[in-house]
Amino acid sequence: MEMNDNPSGERKMQCSDESKCFELLESILDGELQDSGKEVLKEKLAKCQPCFEHYHLEQAIRDVLKTKCTKHAVPTELADRIRKEIQDIK
Amino acid sequence: MSEVQRRKYSQEEKNAIFDGEFMPHIDSMYNFGYRLTFDEDDAKDLVQDTYLKAYRFINSFEQGTNAKAWLFRILKNSFINEYRKKSKQPTKVDYQEVETYYNSDDVHYQSTSDLRAESVKDMLGDEISNALNSLAVDFRTVIILCDLEGFTYEEMAKILDIPIGTVRSRLHRARNLLKEKLQGYAHNMGYNTDEEE
Repeated sequence: MEMNDNPSGERKMQCSDESKCFELLESILDGELQDSGKEVLKEKLAKCQPCFEHYHLEQAIRDVLKTKCTKHAVPTELADRIRKEIQDIK
Repeated sequence: MSEVQRRKYSQEEKNAIFDGEFMPHIDSMYNFGYRLTFDEDDAKDLVQDTYLKAYRFINSFEQGTNAKAWLFRILKNSFINEYRKKSKQPTKVDYQEVETYYNSDDVHYQSTSDLRAESVKDMLGDEISNALNSLAVDFRTVIILCDLEGFTYEEMAKILDIPIGTVRSRLHRARNLLKEKLQGYAHNMGYNTDEEE
């Protein structure tokens, strides 16, 4: 992303409304704002250091949740057990 | 399942819906059940109950709508209505944590500058899982639904029977709590959280 290349000195170091901005960034990351979100995001990441950092932190957390969170293998007999129970109530 | 019965499916249609639209979600259902109960047998019972109910109320499922969200809603309700009542052990909810976060208007994440994306990327799956599992069930649930299962806010609102605005704010709070836990791990593991990279 080209916005990563912005030296942080060009961004303001304080966010005037962190709580609202962060919530908004999170909605964008969750894919809830679609196209309108892209513009807002571009602006925030280019101009605000706390927003920039928050965005990348949130993105990293989503990535590790998706890729590293242990998935428990479904016990093989479970599907059979369910089908059998269904047979019984049919 | 409060929906009015729309139509009656034939036995063949029921089987097709059950096998084609319900059963493919068994992995996600089991994982959701396991993350709610932290117990393999309880998770199995919960999933089995859910599928039996789904079959029994199959006429209230509208074909072409989101079967996974429909099933998750049944599982979540079963967990709340039956599992929690049945379970002698009270569920591990840190009520104080929940109260503090629900009642405060100004929830503000203080430590952004400390936890870094780089430290998070280096964490092990177990650390991430433990941090998630340590959250109170309401907060854990929204993160599972959103980040692990990829539901939209609208789907989550239906699954949890809460307004979309509440989904958004609960997620925000859940993520702040998760970051606090991760930050604890980062410190314990000696990750650089303070110094400039």
